[in-house]
Amino acid sequence: MPQNAVIREGNKAWEEGRAKNVTFVVTEDCQLRCRYCYMVGKNKAGRLPFDVARKAIDYLLTERALVPERSVVWDFIGGEPFLEVDLIDRICDYFKARAYELDHPWFDSYRLSFSTNGLLYNEPRVQRFIAKNRTHLSVQITVDGTRAKHDLQRVYPDGHGSYDDVVRSIPRWLDQFPESSTKVTISTDDIPHITESVLHLWGLGIKEVNINVVFEDVWKPGDDERFEGQLVSLADEIIRQGLYETNSCSFFSKTLGHPYRDNMNWCGAGKMLAVDHVGNFFPCVRFLGFSLQNRAPLVIGNISDGLDWNKLRSFLTLDMVSQSPAECIDCDIATGCAWCQGANYDFADTGTIFQRSTSLCKMHKARVRANNYYWNKLGRKLGRDLRAQA
Amino acid sequence: MLKYLLVVLSEASTSFCTYEAKARKPGAKGLLPLEKLEAAVTFALKNNLKVNFLYPSQKLGPAYAALVEAVDHVKIVPFSARERHPDAILVVDSADFPAAGDLGKLRGTNIVFRLRRADLPRLSVLLGRLLPRARRVNLVLRDVENYGPDEFAEYGRQLEKASGRVLAMAAKKNPPELNVLTDRLILDKMNNCDAGLTHLTVAPNGRLYVCPAFYEACPDDTLGEIRNEVPIGNRRLLELKYAPICRICDAYHCKRCVFLNRKLTLEINTPSFQQCRVAHVEREASRAYLLKARERIGGTAVFADIPEIAYSDPFEVVEKDKISIAEFKKLGVPQ
Repeated sequence: MPQNAVIREGNKAWEEGRAKNVTFVVTEDCQLRCRYCYMVGKNKAGRLPFDVARKAIDYLLTERALVPERSVVWDFIGGEPFLEVDLIDRICDYFKARAYELDHPWFDSYRLSFSTNGLLYNEPRVQRFIAKNRTHLSVQITVDGTRAKHDLQRVYPDGHGSYDDVVRSIPRWLDQFPESSTKVTISTDDIPHITESVLHLWGLGIKEVNINVVFEDVWKPGDDERFEGQLVSLADEIIRQGLYETNSCSFFSKTLGHPYRDNMNWCGAGKMLAVDHVGNFFPCVRFLGFSLQNRAPLVIGNISDGLDWNKLRSFLTLDMVSQSPAECIDCDIATGCAWCQGANYDFADTGTIFQRSTSLCKMHKARVRANNYYWNKLGRKLGRDLRAQA
Repeated sequence: MLKYLLVVLSEASTSFCTYEAKARKPGAKGLLPLEKLEAAVTFALKNNLKVNFLYPSQKLGPAYAALVEAVDHVKIVPFSARERHPDAILVVDSADFPAAGDLGKLRGTNIVFRLRRADLPRLSVLLGRLLPRARRVNLVLRDVENYGPDEFAEYGRQLEKASGRVLAMAAKKNPPELNVLTDRLILDKMNNCDAGLTHLTVAPNGRLYVCPAFYEACPDDTLGEIRNEVPIGNRRLLELKYAPICRICDAYHCKRCVFLNRKLTLEINTPSFQQCRVAHVEREASRAYLLKARERIGGTAVFADIPEIAYSDPFEVVEKDKISIAEFKKLGVPQ
């Protein structure tokens, strides 16, 4: 077997670590009612007024000392962001004009980022927006896998699935953004569909599949073993068909499953900023009211008064050890074990971001075992010690 | 482990700290029910706890006095009640600063001095009246949440002036202590309030709280009835080890007020910039005081140096440089 065979890795984020991520929640409405979605309070009332967005942009562009990043990623999310594409277009025009006026470095260094359900992708007004902003756009359409997997979760309010409507958008999307990835979410009922779904997405031409299990504690006894079984069978297929050369799936990573070497927080909440329709600032979208089941929204400022730096201090000093139980700090396979600050806050015993949820522990361990299997088996096929390269 | 209990005897009891006791209707006593006081005293006796009793201005009945005297205790009383409680710690408020004649009768008293922000420019003058009559003055800054750059600068100037007064007295026998100036000199580790860890509060409704401020802010934010094994949700977050900013800090005298933390930053383990800046103004004043004391009066070799530092808020350090896992583990196992 070739010693120098290529193993495709996932794309790096644009300006990673150097860009400020600002999320405009343009609407809290969506055409779908995905069963696993953490946005539990979707509604039609929460629409972002243009003036709120304008004031937020003014604040961020003029407070250069407080927001020193050299680049910006404007994330437009919902609900479904393309429901408000005309509003978004107006917001983007305003940003460009204002940044130009101020001779702000973001004028030359920005991205417009979208996570969409894809249902409106072929609409003329969406396509006009794409054509207008093509070189600055990142668009990610969520397809969850096979029709069975996708329609299990991603459904309309009447319960019928959205797979056929989304898949229609894929060819044009990949033509316009060939290096795009999709994001797959796994809840307990999805586990049997993992292997076939990843292979299916690659078959559609989506070369990079980012896949996560939900942070909510939905897991049933035996889910970890079923999950591991699916990942092992996926590993077998990837290796058998040589798909590792052209495709990537975030379930498998050489950085996964090692002891912690540093004390960094996993989550970027607080370094990014989300803006809601009344002009409040949040550490990320998971801290808005419609994303929370048990806690009050966690507001860290607003467009009139600016950022409340006292409320940001905990986010900016939060580290792994201060929020983790000893079993996590000392875990031999800790790296890659994810947590979400918003979910932690929502499910903590008290209203704190300093209590890490361990509901994913068994799922992480299962993933690590399958990951080890993948790299060991692939290494033997390629005649390389891939685990040692981690 | 618990070391003492704070018992607020009345809804009208004085505040002795940063929190504001709610304004009560004139004449309203809202006394801690006697059976609850008895339960608190019994709890203290069973658990080897001393008790700090927080008094109102009004006189309490003999049944209350008998229960208070049944346990090792300290009385904390408003200045207006000083004559009934000659051995008590007196709470003086800058908003109602005593006349010179009233102060003149005090000798070697422990005083809690609560300072309104509006009175900050008079701090050194007011301290100049209290210190000669005190064994110790605990300065407490009210409405510190409203402090900004101007107040930090003014506070530094006032402490510099006050340090001159303390220095002059230090040459004499038994000089007074001023917490924000002299405590840091004798400390080699954190000496925080530790509410919830070393002490709990019994409020006038007879229920337990982390401290009186939690009761004043929200009576529903209670730890429940007086009982053994009081559960505190996420108690570890009260520990220094789990406070990322505080655990690297050497402003050892800082009260590290967990109530202010939660009020201003939403997290009990994260101090506001006001708390850190104020503590570092005090730390710097203590450092300057120590240098001057060495120069002028000697006899200060017993005090360790307070190093000069380049930051005025340890947040600046922690934001850039998190401690390592190994350093964290060296901090030991929480209580």
